[in-house]
Amino acid sequence: MIDTSIILQAVIDGAGVGLIYGLVGIGYCVIYNATGIVNFAQGVFVMLGGMLTYTLLTSLGLPMIVAVAIAIPLVGVVGVVIEWFIVKPMLVRNSPMFAIILATLAVQIMIERITIMTAGDQPRTFHEFTAGGPLRLGPVAVGYQLIWVLVCSVGLVLLLTLFFKYTRIGNAVRACAQNRDAAALLGIPVARMLAVSFALSAALGAIAGILITPSQYTAFNVGVPFGVSGFIAAIVGGFGSASGAFVGGIVLGVAQAVAIIIFGAGYKTVAALAVLLLVLLLFPSGLLGKRSEK
Amino acid sequence: MTLLSVSNLTKSFGGIVANDSVSFDLNEGDIYAVIGPNGAGKTTLFNLISGVLRPTSGSVQYAGRDITGLAQADIAALGVVRTYQLVQLFRQRTVEENVQIGFHLATRGGVGAALFRPGWVRRQERMVREKSRELLRLVGLESQAGLVADKLPYGQQRLLKIARAMAAGPKLLMLDEPAAGLDTQETSVLGDVIQRINDQGITIVLIEHDMNLVMRMATRITVLDFGKKIAEGTPVEVKVNPAVLAAYLGEAELE
Amino acid sequence: MTLRSTISAKPQVWATALAIAVAVALLAYVFGRGGYVVTVMGFAVIYGVFVTGLNLFMGYAGQASFGQNAFAALGGYGTAVLCADYGLEPIVALVLSATLSAVIALIVGYPTLRLRGHYLAMATFALGLITYELSIEQSGLTRGFMGFSGIPPLGLGRFQLLSERAQLAVFILIMLLGVWVARRLRGSRFGRALLAIGESEPAANALGIQVFRYKLVAFVIAAVYASVAGSMFAHFVGYISPEVFGLSMVTLSFTMLYVGGIGTLWGPIAGAVLVSFLPQLLRGFRDMQDIIYCLALIVILIFVPKGLASLWSLAVRRSDVPAER
Repeated sequence: MIDTSIILQAVIDGAGVGLIYGLVGIGYCVIYNATGIVNFAQGVFVMLGGMLTYTLLTSLGLPMIVAVAIAIPLVGVVGVVIEWFIVKPMLVRNSPMFAIILATLAVQIMIERITIMTAGDQPRTFHEFTAGGPLRLGPVAVGYQLIWVLVCSVGLVLLLTLFFKYTRIGNAVRACAQNRDAAALLGIPVARMLAVSFALSAALGAIAGILITPSQYTAFNVGVPFGVSGFIAAIVGGFGSASGAFVGGIVLGVAQAVAIIIFGAGYKTVAALAVLLLVLLLFPSGLLGKRSEK
Repeated sequence: MTLLSVSNLTKSFGGIVANDSVSFDLNEGDIYAVIGPNGAGKTTLFNLISGVLRPTSGSVQYAGRDITGLAQADIAALGVVRTYQLVQLFRQRTVEENVQIGFHLATRGGVGAALFRPGWVRRQERMVREKSRELLRLVGLESQAGLVADKLPYGQQRLLKIARAMAAGPKLLMLDEPAAGLDTQETSVLGDVIQRINDQGITIVLIEHDMNLVMRMATRITVLDFGKKIAEGTPVEVKVNPAVLAAYLGEAELE
Repeated sequence: MTLRSTISAKPQVWATALAIAVAVALLAYVFGRGGYVVTVMGFAVIYGVFVTGLNLFMGYAGQASFGQNAFAALGGYGTAVLCADYGLEPIVALVLSATLSAVIALIVGYPTLRLRGHYLAMATFALGLITYELSIEQSGLTRGFMGFSGIPPLGLGRFQLLSERAQLAVFILIMLLGVWVARRLRGSRFGRALLAIGESEPAANALGIQVFRYKLVAFVIAAVYASVAGSMFAHFVGYISPEVFGLSMVTLSFTMLYVGGIGTLWGPIAGAVLVSFLPQLLRGFRDMQDIIYCLALIVILIFVPKGLASLWSLAVRRSDVPAER
């Protein structure tokens, strides 16, 4: 019989990881809503966020805040590069949907290999943002990093909402999401807005990667599991709602944590994938709606 | 002899009645036209007959059999084949392949047949090749057989669609606006093809906006307006029917 | 063949003759030279089988599977376990594994192939990932991430194909059988139905083609090809690991498919050979090879989406005839 406090602890930790999945999921939505594309390289931003921050911390000895402030925009740039050199040319040529997916998948593998060649294939981690802890709440412990995750996730979603509602660029991106041709007619530089959505999405992924690394680890190959988990979160959120993505992420995170207790740590990814297939099969026509049928 | 008998066919979508108790009979060998202003419910009628939609009430009898509410494929297998306005050709395939694919319902065989090719499969394939050629000859596309369908001019694409539908071996061929978007010359060629098909003993029912074509080809006409049949008769009768003239007032399509 | 009326027959005859000549010359070189060239050719032929199956599902039926590596893994591990642990005949192991793959493809495909677009892509992708994870975790069966070694070479009874040359010769026969099957399928009612589905599902449906059923059958056939390729790999190298059937197998096979020309009969084989031999200049740098494969794939996807083979037939240019609405 498994102790209830172990289960409770798993739920708390799982929910923390789930918030990260939610962030990745929102990253998918930002790009999907602007371009109609599901970027299969989304997980790579998570990996790059962690790896870059680690590299800046260790080899340059930068303080955490500086490392983070450099890593996030850098990953954003990677997002823009992907948009500029791969996604845009394919959109312009009206490439079939699965060709674009394949191209983003190829980018994922390319970046993974480059990471192995430059940073090695060993798992890396760095210290938590705030030393000390954990907070004891009755039978369960809440690490300080988890509080960071919670605060940052909520803060980011608020910021994003404000950005899309009240800034000129945010409004322009939303206009592109609704109708790219109409947006172009209104004089909105659509191409630039697509780049903005990739930059935003990449930055979100990077933040997710930086937040999770202290409590787990990062390595060249963490992109795929995070990408898949984020995709699940995005599906549950209907590829549009941020709170939905968080709910999906948290459900998945908890399910994974419980699966680890029951089946062992090795089945973490299998559990996530099983959830993915279940969700997909329960909504066979797709929550993505008609745009998925390109 | 009556081939198709539509009686009191009604279809409502929520509160909107798209077909309101429509009835008519089609004789074997007819070229029967269904006309009416836009939104009169013509395509809905076609969808009800061909099994794309289930009627709310009413029935469809085909060759003495009740086919109301049967599945699309089953109705097609009985020999009621239609073209769709929105359904495309296989654009990257050749003209000939398009017609050959059309033989799907009229032929048999799966993976096993493809691999081992017993005698009946070889005979069937020969039949498909020969009949494809015949159909292409029928619609006048024989010399374009090897061309990718995408390369055909618009009017010929329309003819290819008809040839493809013919491959399924229809007794009743339903054409949904075959002349839409064609110029006078192309329409005239289309008319000839329809006539040739009819000469082979195939009954034809078509929805059409081009009144010249309808008046030239049709043996009988039903006029729909707001989902109701407002007139039926020969072209000459329909032309002078006051209800029809009223329905078309301002559309200037009827001369 | 079908382009006869737009391209005169002569250049095609010459092109075929040239292709055969190149193939014969390549084989003569490979068998004459021996050594690592035989190994590379072996991989090319194995991938040729894999990609020919994938091509049936993608090139003909126009579907997308990002998880065919799952079935290659099933074939590979099936052969490894059945031959090494249970001492079964290689041919029996190969057939059993392929049968298992077909059954699993049927079970998995039944719900999965109802999905469309991104969902289909992600679901098939997940299939490959699950298999990868399971092949690590089920270490009792698969020996985990350290890999499974000691798999005997292909053989029959006491007779074993000990030399790589002999195995390669048999592999080429298997590959030719695979191409022959693909060709027979292509030129049949079944193949025409797949091509129709690949172009327009609504149109295929309107002509009475049971779209879902045909997709499922194509998926199962592709899985059998993948499984056979996996078994061949296990015999050829004598060692397999989860990494062999990992994610890079997916992009590598797509690169071959696109280099050679998707939807053509021999294109996938040509792609497999080309892609296997060209990066041999970078032998030893596996990561660098993956990068080059991916880069090539992206460039082709953007600029020559029908594969390099389509450059040959530029004579048939896309015209601006308006498509039927």
